[in-house]
Amino acid sequence: MANPFLLWRRWRDARRRTAFEDVLKHVLTRTIEGREAGVDSVAGHLGFSQKRVLHLAVEMESAGLLRSEGARLALTPAGEKWATQVVRAHRLWETYLANEAHVPIEALHKPAEAAEHRLTPEQVDALDASLGYPRNDPHGDPIPTASGQIAALDARAVTSFPLGQAAEIAHLEDEPAALFRQIPEALRPGTVVRRVSSSPAEVTLSDGAREYRLTPLVAGNIQVVPAPEAKADPSLAPLSALALGEEAEVVAIGPGLRGFTRRRLLDLGLTPQARVSVHLDNAFGDPRAYRVRGATIALRREQAAHIFVRRHGVLASA
Amino acid sequence: MTDPIARADQLRASLPAGFRDQVVESLYEEAHRIAGRSVKTGENRRIDFDQRIDRLVTSPIFGLPLMLVLITGVFWLTIIGSNYPSQMLATSFFWLEDKLVAWSAAAGAPAWLTGFVWNGVYRGLAWVVAVMLPPMAIFFPMFTILEDLGYLPRVGYNMDWLFRKAGAHGKQSLTMAMGFGCNAAGVISTRIIDSPRERLIAILTNNFVPCNGRFPTLIMLATIFVAAQFPPAVASVAAAGSVVGVVLLGVLFTLVVSAVLSRTVLRGEASAFTLELPPYRRPSILRILYTSLIDRTIFVLGRAMLTAAPAGAVIWILGNIDWQGASLARHAANFLQPLGHAIGLDGVILLAYVIAIPANEIVVPTMLMVYLGTGMMSDVTGYDDIRRILVEENGWSLLTAVNLMLFSLLHNPCATTILTMWRETRSTRWTFIGALMPLAIAFAVTFTVATVVRLLL
Amino acid sequence: MTHNCDTCPAHAHLAQMGIRLGEGSRLVALAGNPNTGKSSVFNALTGLKQHVGNWPGKTVTRAEGGFAFQGQHYKLVDLPGTYSLLSASQDEEISRNFLLFGRPDCTIVVTDATALERNLNLVLQVLEITAKVVVCVNLMDEARRKGIEVDLRSLSRDLGVPAVPTVARTKEGLHDLVRTVAEVIDGTIATKPLRPGHPPDVEAAVGEVATLIEQRVPGIPNARWMAYRLLDGDSRIRQALESGELADLVAAQGTPAERRATLVSLQGRQ
Repeated sequence: MANPFLLWRRWRDARRRTAFEDVLKHVLTRTIEGREAGVDSVAGHLGFSQKRVLHLAVEMESAGLLRSEGARLALTPAGEKWATQVVRAHRLWETYLANEAHVPIEALHKPAEAAEHRLTPEQVDALDASLGYPRNDPHGDPIPTASGQIAALDARAVTSFPLGQAAEIAHLEDEPAALFRQIPEALRPGTVVRRVSSSPAEVTLSDGAREYRLTPLVAGNIQVVPAPEAKADPSLAPLSALALGEEAEVVAIGPGLRGFTRRRLLDLGLTPQARVSVHLDNAFGDPRAYRVRGATIALRREQAAHIFVRRHGVLASA
Repeated sequence: MTDPIARADQLRASLPAGFRDQVVESLYEEAHRIAGRSVKTGENRRIDFDQRIDRLVTSPIFGLPLMLVLITGVFWLTIIGSNYPSQMLATSFFWLEDKLVAWSAAAGAPAWLTGFVWNGVYRGLAWVVAVMLPPMAIFFPMFTILEDLGYLPRVGYNMDWLFRKAGAHGKQSLTMAMGFGCNAAGVISTRIIDSPRERLIAILTNNFVPCNGRFPTLIMLATIFVAAQFPPAVASVAAAGSVVGVVLLGVLFTLVVSAVLSRTVLRGEASAFTLELPPYRRPSILRILYTSLIDRTIFVLGRAMLTAAPAGAVIWILGNIDWQGASLARHAANFLQPLGHAIGLDGVILLAYVIAIPANEIVVPTMLMVYLGTGMMSDVTGYDDIRRILVEENGWSLLTAVNLMLFSLLHNPCATTILTMWRETRSTRWTFIGALMPLAIAFAVTFTVATVVRLLL
Repeated sequence: MTHNCDTCPAHAHLAQMGIRLGEGSRLVALAGNPNTGKSSVFNALTGLKQHVGNWPGKTVTRAEGGFAFQGQHYKLVDLPGTYSLLSASQDEEISRNFLLFGRPDCTIVVTDATALERNLNLVLQVLEITAKVVVCVNLMDEARRKGIEVDLRSLSRDLGVPAVPTVARTKEGLHDLVRTVAEVIDGTIATKPLRPGHPPDVEAAVGEVATLIEQRVPGIPNARWMAYRLLDGDSRIRQALESGELADLVAAQGTPAERRATLVSLQGRQ
């Protein structure tokens, strides 16, 4: 069974498949972003030598996956289908890790890079179903559908968004990882921010509760869309900002709460129009307990920060 | 005919992204409308009263101290309440043992049979009942009252922050509370934790809560070694305090081990925490008595007796078969002596732990039976006699007592708990880790304490 | 031990985790939010002494028991306490699949009178699956103490199924509950469950898929709910529809004798 030659061949095939898929994915991403992909960009992105990329490109072209148009590489329909499948596996795996296994967002990329080459299309379909057919991954990127459609992401860098206007974070570029790590934890897809000021050295963003100073390079990796009206409303506050005894009405559950957690909160009655009040404090300040629909529910600050409410005032009994 | 599944897949993509949210929303709108028509809320004095209690129980200032006072109170009542009944039971059981031996000998039964049945099996059983029944019969009803009142979720609420810092779930403290009764029950109760990672942490660390099988050991040591240092008036409070100290140490170990696990082999962030704090309910006395006495006390005691009988037989055999001039028990204890000494205990204690793997409840009886050898059990009628046996005849020091408390808190879970871990995780690897990790920690901690104390003194 | 039986014929498929139904006995499911006294109702009806702690989610194992009423034997299955039946959590899956595939003759939904609004969410979801429902408004004593009045006639009228006030701890109202269950099964009480519409676009999609399901499985009693589950992406429903298991279920509905002999089962736990 353990024929060393067979094992070596299996390893070589897997390695070749991984290289193919990485190239396909790179070309697809560049195409979607409206940039050109070529031997140089592939070599730079994947850390391969020019020679190896050229070799791969020839091999993939003869396999009917790539077309080379001068220095430019483009996908054939078969190549695009395969590439989309890889992206789909990657983004679904990231969603799974974030929603169900609660892996921190900065640690999602690496395991997904491995899983995208391992998962079969059937496994990916099953994963999609079990996650309830999510549309965006935790970074805000659209997840391709089973038929291979990718929704367009109409976002732009926060640095080019008008000063002072409410913008909702739609996407965080997770590569390069060194820059991604510098994005503050509070700034996640779904968070509403305003650009307070910009200088060549520094961009200041505010999420209403705090200000974040970032280098323009880091801020450039935060992509935003205009915030929906409800969330742009300055009279709204996160549930976590309410004082003990204060009463409010739920307006929206932010997209930062996903998967099972989101469902659980909705099932507990934290739906728009529900009246909530801060019922109990805690020695550590966290969690706190809230009254909603006649029941007392304890929530951690992390979750309460994603529930947006309109303040009503302080209850008489508090 | 169009396939409904394929059509559903198509339609799903065309629906707005938040359509599931909207469905729940519209259900709640309807619920709100119906409830609005059929429910009339009058004056809310009762709600205010509940709220005031809740504010006190979870208060930033009083919440945690109140928890400590409650748990100390429960242990104190258990200790003072069980002391006298335990002595009485021991006295009568061992008086009966002597009679039974005499009767059996008079009836012409061979000496080995009399010894095996009465000095072995019966003695093991009698010990377990005398040592365990009174504390359990007091502890379980009190614990069940707190449980039925609705206090446990408040404990989970108060402690959540600490568990979140350790990368674990706040409901883990609920499973720990169940572990006070029985670690196997605690392991089963981890099903309330949704995240598999956090559930595994809760399973692996449940052992650091001393279960009812281990309480008698802790209570006995606290009474003999700690309470004796204090004037009689406060002795029982001091004993309870030291048991609480051990429990707090167990909580500390739980948190530290959880934190280490969630930063190493079980890496991940704390998941979401939603815990409903149910309204306080008046406990029903009959049900509490039934639950705590029949479901819990008799269950745990029955299990202990099931293992105590064969253990008693084994001890009698080990103690009565001589080889090269000493009993097998002596040989085994001598063999374990160097290891026992290194961790501040002795060979007999370790031997007792080996025999008690099926159930921790029988550690103390086993130990005493080995120490006594073929001696008369009826001589031991109370803590004073035990103290005499341990300190004067077998050279125990305060270090022995402290390290035994530590070892008892930390060492490997009993066989039932290990089996339950396997049933819940279906993983041999995690079950192994769950069994061996506490043992390794127990050896490391007791060895460190023993070495440091010996260096200083 | 569980054996995964995705491929067996539909009837055998029901036969895991056996709940043994005696000849002629009726199957009643007990659903409800956590902490509504569901286990108390169960204990009071069956005389079993399952412990009821006051903390959410303590029913970690499914319990079953029986009782007799007017010479008729009833089998009572206590489902895990859940807030909803919509999510993929194990407890909810168990309850959902039991209500659907276990085909109880009647389902009692236990609710907390002091937090009725929150509890009605689950009631409405159960009504989508089955029409044979009795709502048990429990903890009436707590409600009275808190000055909360529940108008049960209005509640019954709105929901289209009977609502019975109880205090399970003192057994108050339990006789009425059991009688009502019997009458619902007999058909003496005709239920007309409230099935509120969804938001417009979801409603349109549900309607379309439900029509397709009804064409595929004529006589199916809860096509709308099935349709929503398909839209939601429930793989269990998908599989039941594909394998023809649903058609078998509907076909078996008319033949009680055959049904009684079946071992009804739950999937997914132990």
